[in-house]
Amino acid sequence: MLTTIAAAVLATLAPMQGETDTTIAVPAGASLSVNNFGGAIVIHTWTQNRVKVHAEHGSRGSIEASLVGTTLTIKAGSRHGSPSVVDFDITVPAEMALNLSGTYTEIEVNGSKAAITAETVDGSIDVRGGSGNIMLNSVQGSVTLADATGRIEVNSINESVELSNVSGQIKAETTNGDVTLWGIKSSSVEATTINGDVEYEGTITDAGTYTFTSHNGDIQISIPEGANVTLTVATANGDIDASFPLPFRGTREKHRYTFKLGTGSARMEAESFQGDIELRRPAEMREHQKEKEKDKDHEMEQEEP
Amino acid sequence: MPRQVLEVTLTADSVAADAALAASGDASAFERLYRAHVNRVHSLVRRMLDADEADDLTQDVFVRAWDKLSTFRGESAFGTWLHRLAVNVVLARRKTLGVERGRFHSGENPLEGVSGRRETPEISMDFEEALANLPDGARQVFVLHDVEGYRHEEIAQMLGVVPGTSKSQLHHARMALRRYLDR
Amino acid sequence: MNDQWTDRLSEYVDGELANGERGALEAHLATCAACRGAVAELRQVVARARSLEDRAPQTDLWSGVAKRIGAGQVVDIRSRRFSFNVPQLIAASIALVLLSGGGMWVALRRPATPSGTRIVTPRPDDFTMNASADRQATRIWTGRTDAAIADLQEDLQRNEGRLDTATVRVVRENLALIDRAIGQARAALDADPGNAYLNLHLADTMRRKLELLRRINAIAAAQS
Repeated sequence: MLTTIAAAVLATLAPMQGETDTTIAVPAGASLSVNNFGGAIVIHTWTQNRVKVHAEHGSRGSIEASLVGTTLTIKAGSRHGSPSVVDFDITVPAEMALNLSGTYTEIEVNGSKAAITAETVDGSIDVRGGSGNIMLNSVQGSVTLADATGRIEVNSINESVELSNVSGQIKAETTNGDVTLWGIKSSSVEATTINGDVEYEGTITDAGTYTFTSHNGDIQISIPEGANVTLTVATANGDIDASFPLPFRGTREKHRYTFKLGTGSARMEAESFQGDIELRRPAEMREHQKEKEKDKDHEMEQEEP
Repeated sequence: MPRQVLEVTLTADSVAADAALAASGDASAFERLYRAHVNRVHSLVRRMLDADEADDLTQDVFVRAWDKLSTFRGESAFGTWLHRLAVNVVLARRKTLGVERGRFHSGENPLEGVSGRRETPEISMDFEEALANLPDGARQVFVLHDVEGYRHEEIAQMLGVVPGTSKSQLHHARMALRRYLDR
Repeated sequence: MNDQWTDRLSEYVDGELANGERGALEAHLATCAACRGAVAELRQVVARARSLEDRAPQTDLWSGVAKRIGAGQVVDIRSRRFSFNVPQLIAASIALVLLSGGGMWVALRRPATPSGTRIVTPRPDDFTMNASADRQATRIWTGRTDAAIADLQEDLQRNEGRLDTATVRVVRENLALIDRAIGQARAALDADPGNAYLNLHLADTMRRKLELLRRINAIAAAQS
């Protein structure tokens, strides 16, 4: 069923069964805003200038959709004041900017080529794609981002944050979880956690700035051969371990050491209060990663009955 | 980017921030502190000593504050610290002026005394002018106690007298100033 | 008017008479209009003194001050006779942070150069090894941050009801986690007060707590 909704008209779609299927034409350059309370928001992309909405909401639920100007807003409707639980599966034009929020909501995005903001309290966020301003926030869930580029800020509180194959300006933070950054191309990276490890495998470009901090966890950084970086490493109780000679030509004060590699152009800080700081070559880190994955597979195999 | 933050309007927190910045050498921050406090300092100095010296001494106060800022630990408000520093500068100046400790008038109306500065006491004076015409000892006690809020024990120590003298001088100053309330 | 009580009237007005004397004076006041009048006038003088307004100097004195302090000139920090240390820098940075609502933590890592001076990067031997001064400086900025944190925690307590119990539990656990980290950082810093890394680490960890509280408050406030 193809429905065209005129501007500023609020439509409530509540068919008898617990499902809604509708497709809405949108102008070029439109953005999507989805507001859910409980349930999932899953986004796929296609090349058409339409938004296809599939929602499962139980017989009491409904969804509301309105197109105002260039923003298409889709909300889980509430009957009698209480918010309903809706699972959304929405297909959008790849260039459509996304603004997705919910409380008990998992958010998943696949194939976007646009800016993405996703916020949830209790739910994970899993994004593949994205270009431009990307901001992902969860409180209780883990956040993963892959194949994205732009100005990126990714936060969790109680779970881990994982970025892979991402380029641009990056800020990744959590409190009780690891921060893992792989396949990164960036000249501005900030990764922090309190109770977790930090891992970085990516470029170290001239004049770039890189900051990695943890309180309890280890920090593992890949330093390519030939990198030009002034590296400050600090730990109160941990060890500092490098797989290559560190030319101690810098300054030293208690707990903090600075080394100059190459021309020292980029600036990097790796600090962990209680954890170790490991500096590895990229090849080593990839080897190490492969072995970790093999072990994980091995564990999973063993768990099968 | 930091420069934008520095242009906030003055609040207690920003005074503390400016004090910290000025302590590490930021003259613009110190100028803001100056602007925020100069009237108070100048008025204090003027009332304690006199109008002729107030300008020079006010500058002395701020120069000294700049030098001593590193010792300001932020445990009291900056204004309080600066104020005490100003009082100290005034007291030190008072000593170099050779003010005798003994010259505290005990007459009923000090303003009628010989040491009045105006030559024509008939001209009606406003309260501040009357204050300026009190003899030094009574005026300084009055300013420290009633205008600035120090206690007699503190004033006695500052001026090098006993608390009893401070109390009686205060009383004399107040009694003399009664007549100039409405001006 | 000059009776035995006249000279004690100021003490009476200031509440400095002992009970016995005060009673006796008040008994006298009941019968002596002149003294009553004087008391009223004295009170007015005190009130007038307290309401005196500050006046600006007639000329602007700043240029004289500026000249004497050498403002606008290049100042080599090391030539100033004070302990230029990390805790003071952090105090300035933290004050800026709390003012701007959290947007300025960059300043902690790359200390801003105050306008009008050029800071020569201090080397560790330039730091005066004054442990108690360092501890005090740290107490100042941690005190301010603690105050900001306390405000936000109050806000959170008020807003907690809007969040579900699981989220509240998770938030509390994470706040406790950060508090443990702060405790450890403080202990280390207390043993080594001037240490630049430990100061920064404590500041960072406290910032994390501030940001967590801000974020949760915003989420709670947004729940209907």
